[in-house]
Amino acid sequence: MIRLALPTGDLRASTAAMLDAAGAGIPDYAAGSRALRFPMLEGAAIARVFRERDIPVQVALGNYDLGICSYTWIEELAQRFPNHDVVRLRHLGYGAHSLWLASAGDTVDPSIRIVSEYANIAETLARRMRLRRYRVFPVAGAAEAYPPEDADLAIIAAESRDEVEAHGLRPIANILDSSTWLIANRRSLASKDLTPLLTQLLRAGTQNAAPALTPPPSLDLREAPPRAPRTMLRLALPDGHQQVHAKAGFDISGLRVRGYGDSPVVRRPAVDFDRVEIKVIRPQDMPQQVAIGQFDLAVTGRDVLFNHKVQFPSSPLEEIIDLGRSKYSLAVIVKDVPADDLPGALRYWRSRSDAPIRLASEFANIADHFARERHFGRYSVIPIAGASEGFVPDDAEILIEGIETGSSVRANKLTVLERFFESTNCVIANTQRPAGDLRPIFDALVERLRAGAAEPVAATPGGA
Amino acid sequence: MADATTSTEHSRGMKDLLPDEMDRLRAVEDAFATTCREWGYREIRTPVIEPLHLFTAAGTLSPQTLDRVYSFLDWDGWSGERVVLRPDSTIPAARLYAERLDGGRIAKLFYSQNIFRFTDDASSREEWQCGVELIGETGARGDVDLVLLALETLRPLALPDVTVRLSHAGIVRAVLAAAGLAPDEQSSAYDRLLDGDMTVVDEIESRLPQLNGPLRMLFEIEGGGSGYVANIRDTLASAIPSLAPALDDLAFVVAALEARDVTPSIAAVLARSFEYYSGLVMRIETRGQRVAAGGRYDDLVGLVGGRSVPASGFALYMTPLLDLIAPPRRVGEESRVIVQPASDDPSLVAAGYAAADAMRAAGLHVEAVEGMHSLPTHRLSCAESPRFTLTSPDGARDFDTIEAVIAALESPR
Repeated sequence: MIRLALPTGDLRASTAAMLDAAGAGIPDYAAGSRALRFPMLEGAAIARVFRERDIPVQVALGNYDLGICSYTWIEELAQRFPNHDVVRLRHLGYGAHSLWLASAGDTVDPSIRIVSEYANIAETLARRMRLRRYRVFPVAGAAEAYPPEDADLAIIAAESRDEVEAHGLRPIANILDSSTWLIANRRSLASKDLTPLLTQLLRAGTQNAAPALTPPPSLDLREAPPRAPRTMLRLALPDGHQQVHAKAGFDISGLRVRGYGDSPVVRRPAVDFDRVEIKVIRPQDMPQQVAIGQFDLAVTGRDVLFNHKVQFPSSPLEEIIDLGRSKYSLAVIVKDVPADDLPGALRYWRSRSDAPIRLASEFANIADHFARERHFGRYSVIPIAGASEGFVPDDAEILIEGIETGSSVRANKLTVLERFFESTNCVIANTQRPAGDLRPIFDALVERLRAGAAEPVAATPGGA
Repeated sequence: MADATTSTEHSRGMKDLLPDEMDRLRAVEDAFATTCREWGYREIRTPVIEPLHLFTAAGTLSPQTLDRVYSFLDWDGWSGERVVLRPDSTIPAARLYAERLDGGRIAKLFYSQNIFRFTDDASSREEWQCGVELIGETGARGDVDLVLLALETLRPLALPDVTVRLSHAGIVRAVLAAAGLAPDEQSSAYDRLLDGDMTVVDEIESRLPQLNGPLRMLFEIEGGGSGYVANIRDTLASAIPSLAPALDDLAFVVAALEARDVTPSIAAVLARSFEYYSGLVMRIETRGQRVAAGGRYDDLVGLVGGRSVPASGFALYMTPLLDLIAPPRRVGEESRVIVQPASDDPSLVAAGYAAADAMRAAGLHVEAVEGMHSLPTHRLSCAESPRFTLTSPDGARDFDTIEAVIAALESPR
């Protein structure tokens, strides 16, 4: 069986069209079916849909023989793991974009803060540019929103210089040209006949030279003077599916955030609360930003806080208000395992093999912590970006995933062995409170939110 | 599930050191440490984990080396500042000096510790280093001390055909700067020279028409001793006056070494890490194989955040050394006794340990439990009567007292 990893998201339509043109079309994939697996070539191959950034990882692991994804994600893997088993076969001629290094001003902190979804590329870039001192903030998204207050430099994907500038950023350099590529696992190429699918896919591509990461010769930015004390209290609000819950919490507290919830996302909405400024970022990126003092308060999920605290146990973060919305559980999910509980499942896997038990999760730190606490013995954690229901049983034994009603789990014929953590949305703060005249503002805002949280919670849409 | 591998397999690129290898490692370390202490150097040990920015700030490790460091976020790394398993010992030593020892006096330090650098293949990603750092205003006299100390630390290892090669970073820097190359061009040209790419010499010569040819002598000839230094000065210094300080330093060191019956050879380029070294560079070889190297890096302490203090040092290359030295003789190799009770009676077990104590007090090498590496020459059985039976290669004898056993073991046959 030939295994092909296909992208979901922005590349899906173009990839489906390419497969059609190559004679390997998958009608359900093209139609946007919610299914994650599709048989191909009359059963000789199977395609599985992933978030793009997971595809090079899955091909490198050998779980998939072939994959299709943006070149940037291949390079992101390669920069961290130079001995990876991914072979870059063909440029497929669509999905062209670039990675841009950009700033919002003409100065940088002495310890340059670089924000990006492409953290490994950012680390390499910093080394190649011989930056003397730097920090890379890996984020799940919205990197363009960070400069200048919360980062000096951002590395973002954009189709053009204009698109970078539209975010209010100053492009410094195009550091990597990207498009959609066909990749293969090195060992699969060496040992398995992939031609029934490979021949068709190769015809769809052109044999371009693989682009190389190209750091600019210098930043041409001045060192910023020491920052003046802040005069505004800073609050981070979540984008994505959590924003409806956060907005409900603010509404019930009588706080109106203008533009929050609009589409496209307004990253700096205004709130009718004097001397408070808001930035909208990904909830999973908030704990680090609050811990380092960039924000005084943030609304995120308790699971996100837990994920941060198990990685950094002494991080100066605490939950100060349970907003009581966006309720769900973190659960241990398996498929086709003849066991009713986790110990039984562990015994079953151990009886079959000494191989590592693989835990796939968007909460990699929690998965790691869980496996240690439950004495898994030999295990490996596979960090994933989404499309998670398809990982078990083929690409992982266990999925650690947030579930609300369990409908999605049931639809995918998965089994919940255990729910081990209850999460709601909450307000987090640094244990060191803001000083000076920001402290009364902090206290007043917290009081308003706390009063709102005490009100009964009405149902809000979302969750599966 | 993923492919299984045996659960006892060690991590790729990491190496177990078995008893015979440890014997060799300790032999080198002991020779090194003993000599360093005799010469007035004091031992330090730096942490395995250091901040990444210590190495990026120094600017002396190439991006390619930094690509291979083991870096990660520590348990309190929420700020995003990464830490590394030390990929080098000199930069931590400079950090230690700047942070803890800088009182304006000369620090003479040595260490024996491991460093970690990722390798693409399964070759060792953990290396052991015995190194010396001499930090403070010592001038060229300090360079002489280091070359002679390096030779002295190697002397107990009885290596064949030991040779000293010297260079001076100031020579090639002066030439490349005179040719008008920018700093990054200088670094690239230096690496090409090290790789034997002599076309770069033509490029430099074309930028320095006043030299009228003798540059190839500098880069193609590896000369010997003071005479060669004088020749370089004669042919190049008038066209490149900025060569004079480097040649003065080099001439001083070479003359001092010659007075100690050491005739070094002189090369224009000797070691990678162009940005690392600022003065004398040395390399010690045995039959062409590098076993020690070092040099002067006067900018380093300042670059890691300390006061600008000159510094120099060297390190022994342990991996080749461990293969080159003869297996050290084990303690008590000629005469090693295994003491065993005649039965599992606790009083006889205790009597065996009492006998072992008495024999060790007499300077004999005694073991009470036989292991795979014990290799005994004698066995002593403890019983009620006769109290001791000593079995030697030439037969067994009974004794009533441990003193009689000791006397028998000590008397030459």
